[in-house]
Amino acid sequence: MERETILEVSDLDITFELRGKRLHAIRGISLELYRGEILAIVGESGSGKSVFTKSFMGLLDKNGSVSGGKAVYYGLDDKTAVELTGIKKEKDWLKLRGHEIAMIMQDPMTSLNPLKTIGTQIMEAVLLHQKGSRAEAKKRTLQYLTDVGIQEPEKRFYQYPHEFSGGMRQRVVIAIAIACNPQILICDEPTTALDVTIQAQILELIKELRMKYKLSVILITHDLGVVANTADRVAVMYAGDVVEIGTSEDIFYDARHPYTWALLSSLPQVGIKGEDLFSIAGTPPNLYAEVKGDAFAPRNPQALKIDFVKSPPYFSVSPTHKAKTWLLDERAPKADPPPVLKIIREGGLF
Amino acid sequence: MEREVLLEVKNLEVTFGERKKKYQAVKGVNFKIYKGETFGLVGESGSGKTTIGRAVMRIIKSSGGEILYKGQTINGDISGELDRKVIQEIQMIFQDPQASLNERAKVDYIVSEGLMNIEKGISEQERKERVNQALLDVGLLPEFASRFPHEFSGGQRQRIGIARSLIMKPEFIIADEPISALDVSVRAQVLNLLTRIQKERQITYLFIAHDLSVMRFITDRIAVIRKGEIVEMAETEELITHAIHPYTRALLSAIPMPDPKHERDKKLMVYDPSIHDYTTDKPFWQEIRKEHYVLANKKEAEEYKNLYKS
Repeated sequence: MERETILEVSDLDITFELRGKRLHAIRGISLELYRGEILAIVGESGSGKSVFTKSFMGLLDKNGSVSGGKAVYYGLDDKTAVELTGIKKEKDWLKLRGHEIAMIMQDPMTSLNPLKTIGTQIMEAVLLHQKGSRAEAKKRTLQYLTDVGIQEPEKRFYQYPHEFSGGMRQRVVIAIAIACNPQILICDEPTTALDVTIQAQILELIKELRMKYKLSVILITHDLGVVANTADRVAVMYAGDVVEIGTSEDIFYDARHPYTWALLSSLPQVGIKGEDLFSIAGTPPNLYAEVKGDAFAPRNPQALKIDFVKSPPYFSVSPTHKAKTWLLDERAPKADPPPVLKIIREGGLF
Repeated sequence: MEREVLLEVKNLEVTFGERKKKYQAVKGVNFKIYKGETFGLVGESGSGKTTIGRAVMRIIKSSGGEILYKGQTINGDISGELDRKVIQEIQMIFQDPQASLNERAKVDYIVSEGLMNIEKGISEQERKERVNQALLDVGLLPEFASRFPHEFSGGQRQRIGIARSLIMKPEFIIADEPISALDVSVRAQVLNLLTRIQKERQITYLFIAHDLSVMRFITDRIAVIRKGEIVEMAETEELITHAIHPYTRALLSAIPMPDPKHERDKKLMVYDPSIHDYTTDKPFWQEIRKEHYVLANKKEAEEYKNLYKS
């Protein structure tokens, strides 16, 4: 079955000017987001995952710019393609921001206005992005509150953010995003500031809303452990590039890139008590300098010689799964995947 | 073999506010921590786990009960001598490495501040040597002593926080969510560091966290706390494989696993406190399985005992 692409990114480059130096934050990413799917983008801090998605909304800092490639949005009602990377005017962004692509930030404490009731804040989005009278908008707002799992919406409507717990605030933020009636919802570390139990509930909620409002979701996180439950596909980012992408099954049961292996091995869920937990040596590369070869090579104990010389292209493992590593080249020596993959496949956790 | 008890908490109560606005954050908590072990305190935000940690550190005053360190009461009024001893031997590692280091001080000062207060006559040369050693112990370079906290990454800052505790030669460290604010890959490094330090110096840990998956990896025993009350306590493996209290079971079901098929079939359990009917049959602390304690009333205890029979 051919899936409909709603967002297509090709060879995207983003650079920042910092004190006369150029920081190459995104180094040629190509990626599709399909309609109705949840795509997780996983990477360490500094891997560029937030910058990447901010570029779809025109939210890059002033010193950052798209220096190559493009991102095209196909979600408009009349099916015309919009080249996001070509938008220059703030006025044109306003047509897209929220209404087509909405974003949920990490920290629910700082993304709400403490001086306004949450009802007003959600209604503001409804009035701005949907047609209708104030009375209708209020009715819809109450509906959104119910949809995101907030009980007694009539009472909660008149309350202020400080009267809500962290998890409830994140639900309110999600309600605001949904009220914009978007096609794409970008969730930037939506659960990092929350408890494990609340995290599970919020992820569950995102899955439900995706069905109900026919959303396409990009879920950004640094924790590979949390996405197995939620994501249909997973993209692993390292040093401004997607090094491996595939379905959840591809990534968790059959990962091919050494960096994905390292991320999986360092999860405390698979750690054995009394033994050291696997940790990745070294630090991510300096993106001010030109990265030569495979960016992960200096931290990879099993790196091949060619990894330091030439950057690997994508090798396709299956129609849904590809990875940028020379290990998949037919001339490469056979490398054994780490034991963690076997543990996961056999379901031998907990 | 009888193990040596390092810290004992008896009926600890902590109350915030007065009269009408009174809020009891910790309601009669009891536990013992043995020398050399890692004791985990797990619960959601608002459960009072941090408050207990802080009460033991004596940052917060307790309003009832006793805290015994090596058999001596350390809460309330204590002698100056004991006070100094406790300040030196009990150290704390904080959650947020961005907020817990003084932005205006150099690492050199941050690490040795406690040392200068306890060993007043220490010579400048010895102080420098101790700082260098502490930095090396946590995997940092001695050169870092002349830098400011903002020059470091989150993982490195957390190491500075650990160095600051180690320099005091502590016997007991309270680690309050030391890895929650860190990236997954850095998390592993910090956990390994804490384990290594424990092996080398026989330090006892009180490890506070909300995530049972991390707890399983690092702790020997776990107490599960909810709304200021401990609801279940057992050895780590026992607690994870044979969780009894519905709250613990809900916490376990919430742990995200890196296994898509397992996760898709998983039924998320949400804990509903109204399932307990404690109106007449009051709950008390009882041993359900060997060394496995649960807060339950008589009726529940019968049900719990049959839970893992078949």
